[in-house]
Amino acid sequence: MIMCLGARAKLKWEQTSVELHPAATDKQAVGHFKYQNTGTTPVHFKSVHASCGCTTAQSQKEEVPPGEKGEITATFNIGDRTGTQVKTVTVETDEATNQKTVLTLKAEIPQQLEITPNFVFWKQGDKPDTKTINVKVGKDFTVKHQKVTSSTPDFEAKVEEAGKGEFKIDVKPQDTSKVVASMLTIQPEDSQKVFYATARITNAPQVQ
Amino acid sequence: MKTAGKLPTINYQRSTNRRFVWRIVDFAVAGIFIYAGALKAFDPVQFANDIDNYKMLPWPVSVALAFYLPWLEIFCALGLVFRFLYRGALLILSASIVVFTLATIAAKLRGLDITCGCFGHASQNWSFPAHLVTNLAILAGLLALSFKATSGNRLQMRSNFS
Amino acid sequence: MKSSLVGQAVILAALALLPAAGEAIYFRDKISWRSAIAPSEMVTVEKAREWGDTAIWVDARPEDDFANNHVPSAISLNEDRWNELLPQFLAVWSPGKKTVVYCSSLSCNASREVAHRLRKEAQLSDVFVLEGGWEAWLKKKR
Repeated sequence: MIMCLGARAKLKWEQTSVELHPAATDKQAVGHFKYQNTGTTPVHFKSVHASCGCTTAQSQKEEVPPGEKGEITATFNIGDRTGTQVKTVTVETDEATNQKTVLTLKAEIPQQLEITPNFVFWKQGDKPDTKTINVKVGKDFTVKHQKVTSSTPDFEAKVEEAGKGEFKIDVKPQDTSKVVASMLTIQPEDSQKVFYATARITNAPQVQ
Repeated sequence: MKTAGKLPTINYQRSTNRRFVWRIVDFAVAGIFIYAGALKAFDPVQFANDIDNYKMLPWPVSVALAFYLPWLEIFCALGLVFRFLYRGALLILSASIVVFTLATIAAKLRGLDITCGCFGHASQNWSFPAHLVTNLAILAGLLALSFKATSGNRLQMRSNFS
Repeated sequence: MKSSLVGQAVILAALALLPAAGEAIYFRDKISWRSAIAPSEMVTVEKAREWGDTAIWVDARPEDDFANNHVPSAISLNEDRWNELLPQFLAVWSPGKKTVVYCSSLSCNASREVAHRLRKEAQLSDVFVLEGGWEAWLKKKR
């Protein structure tokens, strides 16, 4: 390998991958990517571009003189996302080598309850059998009891503890003759956060 | 001039023990590659995504490698077990471990969160040092077998000409 | 005469091609050579259009992009406001409908993530990602 000699700009990153653990109630997760210009000429940022609209990234400065430090701040708007989220920010500079650097932001978003399925339905005319929604409590949380209410009297919802941090919600329609829908509100005890599932009687698929 | 008759018993026993030890190394290394290859061959979709995570190759190349590499590993490992195309198998396995290790180091330096290694997604919870140490240990085994295979050939050539 | 070192390696490399090719044929429906989404989970603009009224179009882009322009009759459903927007999607869904999720282009991830959540959380079947996204729709519209 031939080493290039002479004046060059060179941005050295403290780390290019950051792992964040936001709290369940956080709206944003912010990652800081620090760098230093270890070269002999200034580095200019050509672009700082995030992989999705949910992440914004900003550079403190457009030009980094030799020896100077700085950082790129990446702000990830969590929204209603859950689980492991990986977002990248691509930084382009005018360095002679390594013009593109990919910064990775990995956020583990804690989920108090995992509800599967969050949608139960019966076709019009189907037997009004009970359908079950499984609720699993996230590993960093403890939920002893939950309350489930239906927004309409068309559906009945009963919750049962299944042990080992799991619950079952049995949902039964009164009848399936009419197209109706209900929002099931799932409220863990001692929690301000509320979760939802949907129950519906749908149109029967049209026969073609 | 070849020596007629049996070898002295002690030398013969030592030689047999050594051959047995080298065969154990053959089987151990082969076993690792058959296990690693089988894991990846069972889920080529996941393996293609794992290769793609290195961000070094275009997606179609990642797919092609995901289908091909596990079978190459398995066939080479079987070559070690059955001593079929033995040296070629050692060459390919050694080269693949070197390439994989360099790719893992490069990914780490680029800050990519690479969670796969030799064992596909099964090693996703391993740390970077664990990956490196495992790869280097396997490489050491392969190099030892290669050295043995090469010195064994030289001895054979000498005895042929004596 | 024993084959050379390189010769042996070449033979092994060639032998491995056979099961690899077999596996590529076996898994052809589960993996696309063009993109990281399985072919059974993707749909082209032309195919989705053929579905007519049985297709529900879902726009996974941020709300500003949706407000600016979107596929006619598309419903906005993105991960920023998932809990708020999901019920209005479920209100129009019924068995037999095919859900087509799009975001801005082939390279964006939002449509894949929304489709994944619909399959996993709501356990809906027939959920597809639009190949090429909004860009492809615009090109075909002309």
